[in-house]
Amino acid sequence: MRSGRLYRVGFAIAALLGFVSLARAAQAPNPAADQRAFQAYFRSRFPTVKLADFGNGPYAVNALMRKQWEEIMAFPPYDFALDAGKAAFAKPFANGRGYADCFPNKGIGIRQTFPYFDTKTGEVVTLDLAINRCRIANGEKPLPYQVGLMAAITAYMAETSRGKAFDIKIPDDPRALAAYEDGKRFFYARRGQLNFSCASCHVQAAGQRLRGDILAPALGILAAFPIYRSDWGSMGTIDRRFTSCNAQVRSVPFAPQDKTYRDLEYFLSYMSNGVPITGPGARP
Amino acid sequence: MKHAIILAAAMATALSATAARAATQADAAAALAAALAAEARAGQLRNQWLPTEAALKTAKAEMAAGHFDAAVTAAQRAEALAHRSVAQAREQDRAWTAAVIR
Repeated sequence: MRSGRLYRVGFAIAALLGFVSLARAAQAPNPAADQRAFQAYFRSRFPTVKLADFGNGPYAVNALMRKQWEEIMAFPPYDFALDAGKAAFAKPFANGRGYADCFPNKGIGIRQTFPYFDTKTGEVVTLDLAINRCRIANGEKPLPYQVGLMAAITAYMAETSRGKAFDIKIPDDPRALAAYEDGKRFFYARRGQLNFSCASCHVQAAGQRLRGDILAPALGILAAFPIYRSDWGSMGTIDRRFTSCNAQVRSVPFAPQDKTYRDLEYFLSYMSNGVPITGPGARP
Repeated sequence: MKHAIILAAAMATALSATAARAATQADAAAALAAALAAEARAGQLRNQWLPTEAALKTAKAEMAAGHFDAAVTAAQRAEALAHRSVAQAREQDRAWTAAVIR
């Protein structure tokens, strides 16, 4: 009798532990599953848009804007930056070395692999951060992150990767998963006085109008960076876009290349694996 | 009846005098300190708002100019905004998961 009761109690505890571990497994980060769901959502929301076209942002989902863009592209507004970036990339540093010495394949056709998780330092490394680290390692001053020469150099490097699909890896490292989760949380969490998240505009309202703009879908949203924005009247990097988005919802932006912004770029780029690089881009 | 009228008049005078009392430098400093403390909590949660920062800037400028009433008003607005941003951060700490595409 007593052993039967003990058996029932033991069985209940085992069932409870099993339930708890199943619940934990359901909550554990699963980037691959997230990516499948993310891409399926946008493919279902915009069934006529091919995966490769999501790198063209609002032009992929609005025919009228696409027509205007095609006309604008007869004289791409980023061409001056592209030329400046190519020249700057080729110009040796004072020590005789150059950007090509800091990157695999001499920096050509590698944009689609950024950002990556550096298992040595335990952090996400963006292309912009790698460019400045290259400069510092060679005795040069770092560049400002949002505009100017940084936008020009990344424009040139992106152009050499055009057509190559995002290929972001998340290594089997708890720190990489934590960085991914940090970026994911930032993407979905509401912030600022207007109580908007990144997802409010680029998931829930993707393809819809916000005043004069058509909101780009989050899938492939970073493929075109850096971009020339007519609204800015100049080129801007991903940092410029993140900080201006945050300011638009009346949130105090973080500093460029803040850890959370790099993690956000990591999350968004991983979600866009398979979407080809289209940068540099032009946006209204 | 006469006494009641006199009492009501006295109370009205006292109330209006209180309402009209100009804020002192100490009032403004206390309001600003409370607002800064609330904004610091928002900073710890990495969720500060631009209007809070603007209101704080106004409060400091008004205080420096000796306009203590305006400084108190701006500081109280900043404190209220900072409390809202703290509440938002705490709420979103869990609520964000409901928005995830699954």
